[in-house]
Amino acid sequence: MVMHTLNATAGSEAFEDCLRLAKAGDSILLLGDGVYSAVAGGQSSVILAASPADVLVLEDDAAAAGIQLKISDFPLVDMDDFVSLSERYPRQLAWY
Amino acid sequence: MSNADKKSMLVLIRRAPYSSSLARASVDLALAAAAFEQQVDLLFQGDGVLQLLPNQQSELLGLKSIGKVLGSLPLYGIEQVYVDARSLSRYGLAGENFVVPVIPLEDEAMSELLARSDHLVSC
Repeated sequence: MVMHTLNATAGSEAFEDCLRLAKAGDSILLLGDGVYSAVAGGQSSVILAASPADVLVLEDDAAAAGIQLKISDFPLVDMDDFVSLSERYPRQLAWY
Repeated sequence: MSNADKKSMLVLIRRAPYSSSLARASVDLALAAAAFEQQVDLLFQGDGVLQLLPNQQSELLGLKSIGKVLGSLPLYGIEQVYVDARSLSRYGLAGENFVVPVIPLEDEAMSELLARSDHLVSC
């Protein structure tokens, strides 16, 4: 089980490669530039929804980007949740 | 240190060799870990595969050759060097004679590699 932190926009190689390698049982936490891909109705959100991994969005970063209210397909998590996730997953991999 | 105590580390190398200091930093990290007898595997992916090209003349840029450093990986006990097969195809490098012997992996094999490594580092 791997927790992927995805800090890159949908047009990037990091986004593409992360989605290619994340599998069932993994989580993908969108943060930083990664949050934009979660906007409902966007093509990138469809790609994320099709991933076998669980997709989550860091709430503060979504709010900072001004898109918090445009995210409806994925759960928003706060910093405490981020810490809990880090504890639950033995491996973490940063995509940026 | 017994083998049972050893943790395996997978370093994902994703940056082109001379556009930033990240490429060299990731190689230095891998060599340092290997020098302390950790089990280190490397996975070159995306632009990172460009680090493996032979005949890099980086002295023309006033920089040390990353290719030469990578050529010394076996001396540090780093035997397993993996590459993303799709990245090789993207750059037309399948079958290239790289600075070290590499093992091309498809998506599923790369996911398995991530799952069985104790630590993951991405540069």
